[in-house]
Amino acid sequence: MYLGALVLLPVIWPGSLFLMGLAGIYAIVALGLSLFLGYAGQISLGHAAFFGIGAYTTAILTTRYGVPSVGAFGASAVAATALAYIIGKPILKLKGYFLALATLGFGEIFLVIVREARGLTGGVSGIFGVPWFSAAGFTFDTSFKQYYLVWGVLIGLVLFAKNLVRSKMGRALLAVAASEDAAASVGINVARVKLGVFVISAAFAGLAGSLFASVMSTASPDAFGLGLSVLIVMMVIIGGMGTLYGPIFAAIFLTWLTDVLGAYQEYSLPLFGVVFILLLIFFPDGVGTRLNARLIYLISYWGRKQRRERVNT
Amino acid sequence: MPLLAIDTISKNYDGVLALNRVSLTVRARTIKGLIGPNGAGKTTLFHLISGLESPSSGTISFRGMAITGKAPHEIAALGVGRTFQTIQTWGTMTVVENILAGMHTRVPGNFLSCGFWLPWIHKGEKGALKEAKGILEFLGLLGRWKWPALQLSFGQQKMLELGRALAMRPKLLLLDEPAAGLTPAEVKKLSEKVCQLRGQGMAVLVVEHHLGMVMDVADDIAVLHNGELIADDTPEAVKKDPRVIEAYLTVAGG
Repeated sequence: MYLGALVLLPVIWPGSLFLMGLAGIYAIVALGLSLFLGYAGQISLGHAAFFGIGAYTTAILTTRYGVPSVGAFGASAVAATALAYIIGKPILKLKGYFLALATLGFGEIFLVIVREARGLTGGVSGIFGVPWFSAAGFTFDTSFKQYYLVWGVLIGLVLFAKNLVRSKMGRALLAVAASEDAAASVGINVARVKLGVFVISAAFAGLAGSLFASVMSTASPDAFGLGLSVLIVMMVIIGGMGTLYGPIFAAIFLTWLTDVLGAYQEYSLPLFGVVFILLLIFFPDGVGTRLNARLIYLISYWGRKQRRERVNT
Repeated sequence: MPLLAIDTISKNYDGVLALNRVSLTVRARTIKGLIGPNGAGKTTLFHLISGLESPSSGTISFRGMAITGKAPHEIAALGVGRTFQTIQTWGTMTVVENILAGMHTRVPGNFLSCGFWLPWIHKGEKGALKEAKGILEFLGLLGRWKWPALQLSFGQQKMLELGRALAMRPKLLLLDEPAAGLTPAEVKKLSEKVCQLRGQGMAVLVVEHHLGMVMDVADDIAVLHNGELIADDTPEAVKKDPRVIEAYLTVAGG
């Protein structure tokens, strides 16, 4: 049903395509972070950096070296993976608040490096004119085509993530989140599991960054700051810890919300905060938890209401 | 050669001597009880064997191989399973997932092969599920296999923790106060299960306050008091040992 809605959306509502494409890109990052935060219970406030390195890898490779976009797409994932491995190895020993601070610091350092390495990254203004994504002679040059590109990639990654969480690795993630001592007591290598899921979630963010660069055709430091890292964490929390679809719904919702509230200028942030608090009050374990049950309840409530009204009149 | 050999091991916590030159062995296919008043160093000894902490001096060897200094997951992979004094089941996971996670080292796959769901992953998962249900049947939890572990009763969670350790197919099982908080009926059932495990070729080292249970099931009993080993003999001999009686009388007040 959701899949059908996704495929048909462009036909029903063409005006939404650009935003939905952007939402899809954020959803990819949120999906990856959901594995790390929602399943393995580890916090990262630096995921924007992996998103950024994906975008810059694509931007630099395609504009400077003429690498085809498919190659740059793969290279972005590799770059994010390598960076996550190097960063993750020392800092994943930290827990809780300390891990949050370390990843936060890492994200800020990444931003500073990007701003200062002008020769490579174009400094504060960034890189322009990143070519559209193209594969086998087909160029994704309109919002319509890009929408299908982004959501196609997202669906592929959802399948990957779904397989992961129903396998032994998914159980290992939950086990590490619930009790590290108990996880180690059955032979789970806690450090390696954490590093592995960190690297995978970074690769997701790298792929999303690559798509971002080719859809927006730019890469500039503003897009990869702490604001984005926090937004992604909010998507996972609002979507529901330990769910895969929840963060995707939350990504769509928050992308829309940011856009709609953008019209209110300086009031947008307070309004955003109010909506966020309301969501946490009414969906304390995330909108994605028992999502189907909730939808069915809503629909049946609507049905009951109609019936009641018919009886009353 | 004993399955587990602990050789003159000491553990010092910032000047507090929790264990003082303790040596004991566990032979294959036997149940060894480890008793002693509170604070005698029993749980410390467990942490040292399973690698959660490392000893200040002395060595521990398992099947002739030194395991001191190895990481907990490495020791577990060698065949040492354990339960915890405070329950450490994974509450958010279902009962069967708890058992399946216990099979972690025996099920094939890594992040990539699991993500792409390669053919052998599917096969491994299917086999594991069947085996997990077998373990749940053995423990009498099969009827609740899809429940979140959190919703089980205390006694059932203790059983589940035992099952998770069994899922590793350990050669040595460390049970840290398995009977604490259980009803007499549950204790009896637990004793039966532990004896059955010995029949299947497992060695068990059990820390317990419930003396009746230890006396029933154990082949040998070691007694710790203030970090020192004061007896290591058959249950009958330990019961009559004047030092043991004195230790329990002075600390527990009868």
